[in-house]
Amino acid sequence: MSSRPSSRLFVLVNEGVAVRKWDVVVVGAGHAGIEAAMVTARMGATVCIVTLSRDTIGQMPCNPAAGGIGKGHLIIELDALGGIQGWAADRSGIQFRRLNASRGPAVWGPRAQCDKERYSQLMRRLVARARNMTVIEGEAREIVIEKGRASGVRLASGEVIRGACVILTTGTFLGGVIHTGDDRQEGGRFGERPSVGLGKSLRGLGLELRRFKTGTPPRLHRRSIDYSKLETQEGDDNPRPFSWRTRSVVNRAVCWVGRTPEMIRDIIKENLDRSPLFSGRIDGVGPRYCPSIEDKIVRFPHHKEHTVFLEPETLNGPSMYVNGLSTSLPADIQELVVRAVPGFEEARFLRYGYAVEYDVVAPKQVGHDLQVSTVPGLYLAGQIMGTSGYEEAAALGFIAGTNAAASLLGAEGLRLGREQAYIGVLVDDLVNREHREPYRIFTSRAEHRLLLGVDSATERLMAEGVRLGLVPTGVFHVEQEKWERRRRVGLLLESSALSPNRLTREQFRASLGVELRNPTTWAGILRRQDIDDRQAAALAPGLGALSPEDRAIVVGQLRYSGYVERHSRERSRIERLRHIPIPGDFSYQAIIGLSREVLEEMERVRPKTLAEAERLAGITPAAMALIAGRLSAARRE
Amino acid sequence: MVKDSSSGLSSALSGGADTIVARATAAGACALAVIRVSGPETGRLARVLCPKIDMETPWRAAVVRLCDRSGGFLETAVAIPYRAPKSYTGEDMLELMVHGSPWIVDAVVGTMISAGARHANPGEFTRRAVANGKMDLVQAEAVNEVVHAETAWQARLAREQLHGALSREFGALKEELIVFLAEIEGSLDFEEQGAVVNQEVLRKAHEGCVSRIDALLDTTAVGVRVREGARVVIVGPPNSGKSTLFNALLARERAIVTAAPGTTRDVLEADLEIEGLPVILVDTAGLREAADLAEAEGIRRAEQEEARADVILALHAADEGGAPQSQEVGDRRLDIVSKVDLANQRMDGILAISCVTGEGLDRLREEIHRRVSEPMMSITAGVAVNARHANALVRAREYLEGVLLVPREVAALEIRSGMMVLDEVLGEVDDEDVLEAVFSAFCVGK
Ligand SMILES: Cc1cc2nc3c(=O)[nH]c(=O)nc-3n(C[C@H](O)[C@H](O)[C@H](O)COP(=O)(O)OP(=O)(O)OC[C@H]3O[C@@H](n4cnc5c(N)ncnc54)[C@H](O)[C@@H]3O)c2cc1C
Ligand SMILES: Nc1nc2c(ncn2[C@@H]2O[C@H](COP(=O)(O)OP(=O)(O)OP(=O)(O)O)[C@@H](O)[C@H]2O)c(=O)[nH]1
Ligand SMILES: [Mg+2]
Repeated sequence: MSSRPSSRLFVLVNEGVAVRKWDVVVVGAGHAGIEAAMVTARMGATVCIVTLSRDTIGQMPCNPAAGGIGKGHLIIELDALGGIQGWAADRSGIQFRRLNASRGPAVWGPRAQCDKERYSQLMRRLVARARNMTVIEGEAREIVIEKGRASGVRLASGEVIRGACVILTTGTFLGGVIHTGDDRQEGGRFGERPSVGLGKSLRGLGLELRRFKTGTPPRLHRRSIDYSKLETQEGDDNPRPFSWRTRSVVNRAVCWVGRTPEMIRDIIKENLDRSPLFSGRIDGVGPRYCPSIEDKIVRFPHHKEHTVFLEPETLNGPSMYVNGLSTSLPADIQELVVRAVPGFEEARFLRYGYAVEYDVVAPKQVGHDLQVSTVPGLYLAGQIMGTSGYEEAAALGFIAGTNAAASLLGAEGLRLGREQAYIGVLVDDLVNREHREPYRIFTSRAEHRLLLGVDSATERLMAEGVRLGLVPTGVFHVEQEKWERRRRVGLLLESSALSPNRLTREQFRASLGVELRNPTTWAGILRRQDIDDRQAAALAPGLGALSPEDRAIVVGQLRYSGYVERHSRERSRIERLRHIPIPGDFSYQAIIGLSREVLEEMERVRPKTLAEAERLAGITPAAMALIAGRLSAARRE
Repeated sequence: MVKDSSSGLSSALSGGADTIVARATAAGACALAVIRVSGPETGRLARVLCPKIDMETPWRAAVVRLCDRSGGFLETAVAIPYRAPKSYTGEDMLELMVHGSPWIVDAVVGTMISAGARHANPGEFTRRAVANGKMDLVQAEAVNEVVHAETAWQARLAREQLHGALSREFGALKEELIVFLAEIEGSLDFEEQGAVVNQEVLRKAHEGCVSRIDALLDTTAVGVRVREGARVVIVGPPNSGKSTLFNALLARERAIVTAAPGTTRDVLEADLEIEGLPVILVDTAGLREAADLAEAEGIRRAEQEEARADVILALHAADEGGAPQSQEVGDRRLDIVSKVDLANQRMDGILAISCVTGEGLDRLREEIHRRVSEPMMSITAGVAVNARHANALVRAREYLEGVLLVPREVAALEIRSGMMVLDEVLGEVDDEDVLEAVFSAFCVGK
C-alpha cells in the first residue's frame, strides 16, 4: 500500500527538508478520516492521509455494529450520496436486522452486526487502492498557518505535510486519557498513544476545547459463556443491505441476550468510590444516552435488571462484546459484576472495559461546511467535533471532504438542509447549538422526521451523489424507477373508489375483517391502522404487483400523507420566503426575541435574502423564523 | 419601521437595541408625571439632562436638577436609576418624577430625543421585558390588565397572572406534554434497548394532558366575567319596572322611565361594581306582542340578551299578579316581585323589591353578588384564560385529539405541534403576528 504519485503532486525542496504538497491533508484514518479522504480523492483532488498507524485504519473501537435507529438513517443517506460506509458494513456484516420494523417507514432503523476485522481490512484495502491518495504514518503536532490559512501539518518528526486544506479527524485521541478503576494511562484508545501536541496547537489558534468522555464494555471469550442461560437474537428473515452497491447479504451469526441480576446493584454501590466516574478522577462529560453500568445503577436505582447483549466481534474469532455493560470500574470489580450475570459465571476476560477522556473542539466554531470559521482551510469532522459514533463520524467526514475538495476545484460544495436529510440535521445541530455532552443522532432530533425515512433516501439525495460524480447515472435511473413505481401505485390507490355495495362489503368482511360502511377509496381504507397491508395486497389495485418492501412503503406513505402534506405546505412557505429579498434598510431592531449575537451579525453582514441569512454563523432556525415572520409582516404593510 | 439617524448611530455605538423614552403616566396636566428611559444609552442621556446625576448608585431615589441641552434650567425632579438586568425591561433604566405639566414633560422628553433617544412605541417597555426574559407573554398581558383593572377582582386576577399563576399552569401543561412526548420518542428511538411502552401508559398520559387543557378552558367563561364583568340582564313584561330598577342599581337616571308600557325599545348597558365585582347591568324591552317593527326588534334583542346572560333578573310587578309563571331551576335566573309597595298581600318566600321605598334592594344586591362571585371563587389560584389563550388551547387540543390512533411517529409530530401552540401563548416561539396582537392594546410608556 502507499503513495501513488499523481499528476497534482508537487515535490519541493526547502532548506534541505523534503516538503511535499497535496490538495488536501486528512489527519486520522478512522470513520471520519476515511470518508473525507475517499470523497476528496474521488472528486479529483489529491489527498494525503496522515495517521498514527496504518494498522488501525478503519477500526471499530467500540461495538462491532453499524446502523440502528437514526444511525442507520445516516448510513443510508451517506450511501445515496456516494459514501462508502454502507458498502463496508454490508461486506463485513454477519447479521442484519431492521429495528422498528413493525412501525412506519420513517423510523425503520437498519442495523448490521459486523466482523470488525473484516471491516477495517476492507477499509485498508480501499484506501490503499484509491487513486490520488497517499498514506503517511506519523503524528500531526501542529497546524501550519500561512497567510492566515491552514496550509498543512507539522509531524512529530518535524516534517511538514503541505495541503491547501487540512481536515482533522483525530477521534478520541486529543489529550486522551484511559481509565480502568484507579489505573490511569495516557492513550487515545486501548493500546494506542494519545495525540498531545495537536491540542496545544488548536488552542494556540484561539479555538475553545472541551473535555468529553466515553466508555466501552469488556470483551469476553466466546468459549467461556454458558449459552443455555441466554436467549438468542436472530437476524431478519430477509436481510437487507445498506448500499445500492450490494446485491444481497446473508445472516451468518446470532447474538445473545441476557439480564443483569439485582445483586450487581450492591456490588457496584459498594465499589463506587473506586469508579473514576464517581471518585472525581474523570471530569469529562459522557453521553447520557449511552451510560456505563455504574451510571445506570446510580441513575435508575429502581430498575431491577438491565438488558445485556452479547455480540461477536468477528465471525469466528474468540472475542465477544458485552453491549450494555460499558464500565470503567477496576478490573476485579468488573469480574464480579460480569460473572454475576447468568451465563457469564465462568467468563474469561479478553479485555477489560475502560473509559476514555478526550478533548473536542466546541463545534459552534465551525460553519455548515465544517470549516473552522476563524481559520480558513481548516476543517473538522468526527468525534473531534463532539459527536460519538461511527455513522456520525462518517457523515461529517463526507461533508468536510466534499466541501474542502469543492472549494479547491471551484465546484459547488454540499450543504444539506434539516428538511432534506439527517446529515443536514446533524451538521446544523452541531454548528448552531451548545453541546455539553457527546452528540449522537436520534430520529427525534429531526422536525421533518416523516419525510426523512430510509425509504426516501435515494429520492432525496442521490441526485447530489450524481452531481458530485460519486454515483453512476445508471444506478440513479434504477432507483428513480423504484420510487416512481411506488408513486404510481400510491396515486392509483388514491383514485380507486370503493362503494359499499353488497359484494364489496362481503369481500371486505371475509378477507380483511372490516365493515365497509361509507364510500371511500382504497387509499382511505389502507390509511386505517387496523388494515394489514399483506392481506389487502390481494384485493387492492397495483399493490399485489409490488415487493413486500415497496408495499409497506406505499402503505406507510399513505398513512403519513395528510401530515406530510401539512408539513410540506409549511416547508414550501419557508422555501418561498427564502428567496424573498431583504430590503437594505430592513430593521432587525424591530424583531423581538432576536439574540444580540444574531442582531449584530445581521446588521454587520446585511444579507440580501433569507437564504443568505441562513448561512451566517449562529443563525438558529428560531431566529430564521423570527426574521421570516417580520419580513412577511413588513411586506404586507 | 423608520428610525431617525441619531438613534441608528447610538445603537451602532452601543452594539444593541436603541434607547427609548416616554412618559409613563396619563397625558394632560396633573400633579406628577413619570418619565421612563430604557436602553444601553440611559446613563449618557441622563447626564445630558443632569450632568451631576449619580448613575452609579442604582435603585435609589435622589433629587436632581434637570437642564436642557444649552444648560437652561428645566425642573427639579426625583430620579431613580436602575441597572441591567435588575430593572423592569432588563436594560439600564431611569425613571424621572416631574411636575405633571405637559410643557415640562415635553421639554424633558424632547431633550432626551435630541440627545439620541427614540420615542417609545406603545407597549415597547414591556416588549423589551419579554425579549430580555423578564416575563413571558402571558405576564405581559397581565401588565396591561393590572393597569386597566377597575374592580378589585380584576386587579386580583391580573396580579396573579402577572406573578405567573397562569404561566405556571401553562408550564405544567407543557411539562406534561413533554413527558407524554418523551414516552413516545423513547419507544421510537430506543427499540434497540428494548424500550417498550405500552398503550395504557400512553393513554393515561394523553388523558392527563387533555384534562388539563379542558380544566384551563373551563376558566374561559369566568375569565370573561372577571375581565369584562358578569352580564346581569333585567327582563320582564312591559311596565314591570325594569328601567326603574336599572336606574336604582346604578344610582343615576340612565334609562327613561314613563308610566306607559313599551317605553324601553333598545338594549341599554352600564358598568356597575358590586362589592368589588365587575358587573355589566343590562336593561331590555318588555316582552309582549310587538306593536311595531322597532319594538319587535327590541324584543328579539331582549331575548338574545337573556340567552347570554350570566344572571337574569326576571321582574313580575306586584300589581299584575306578582307570582312568577314558571320557575327555572338553577342559579342563573332570579324571579323577583317588583313594585312590592303596591302589593295587597304579603309576599313570602320570594324576593320582593320596591324602587319607591327601597325595600329588598340590598338583598337583591347580595343575591347578585353571590351568583356572580361563586363561579369566580372556583378559579384555582386566580387563574383564568383569556380569548387568546383559549384559542391556543383549543388548537392544542385538536392536535392531541387523534394521537392515540395514528402511528407513533405521526403522534410525536402532532404533540410537538401542540406544544408549539402553547409556546406561542407564552411568547417562547416568536411569531411577530402574535406579539403584535398582544401589544397592540398597550399604550406608550408601558
Ligand atoms: C473507548 C471508546 C468507546 C466508545 N464508545 C462508543 C459508544 O458507546 N457508542 C458510540 O456510538 N461510539 C462510541 N465510540 C466512538 C466511536 O468509536 C467514534 O465516535 C468513532 O470511531 C469516531 O470516528 P473518528 O473518525 O472521528 O475517530 P477515530 O475512529 O477515533 O479515528 C481517529 C483517527 O485519528 C488518528 N489520529 C489521532 N490523532 C492523530 C494525530 N495527531 N496525528 C495523526 N493521526 C492521528 C488515529 O490514528 C485514528 O486513525 C467509542 C470510542 C472509544 C474509543
Ligand atoms: N309604585 C311603584 N312604581 C314603580 C316601581 N317601579 C317602577 N314603577 C313605575 O312603573 C312604571 C313603569 O316603569 P319602568 O321602569 O319604565 O318599567 P319598564 O319595565 O322599564 O317598562 P318598559 O320599558 O315599558 O318595558 C313607571 O311609572 C314607574 O314609575 C316601584 O317599585 N313602585
Ligand atoms: Mg323600560
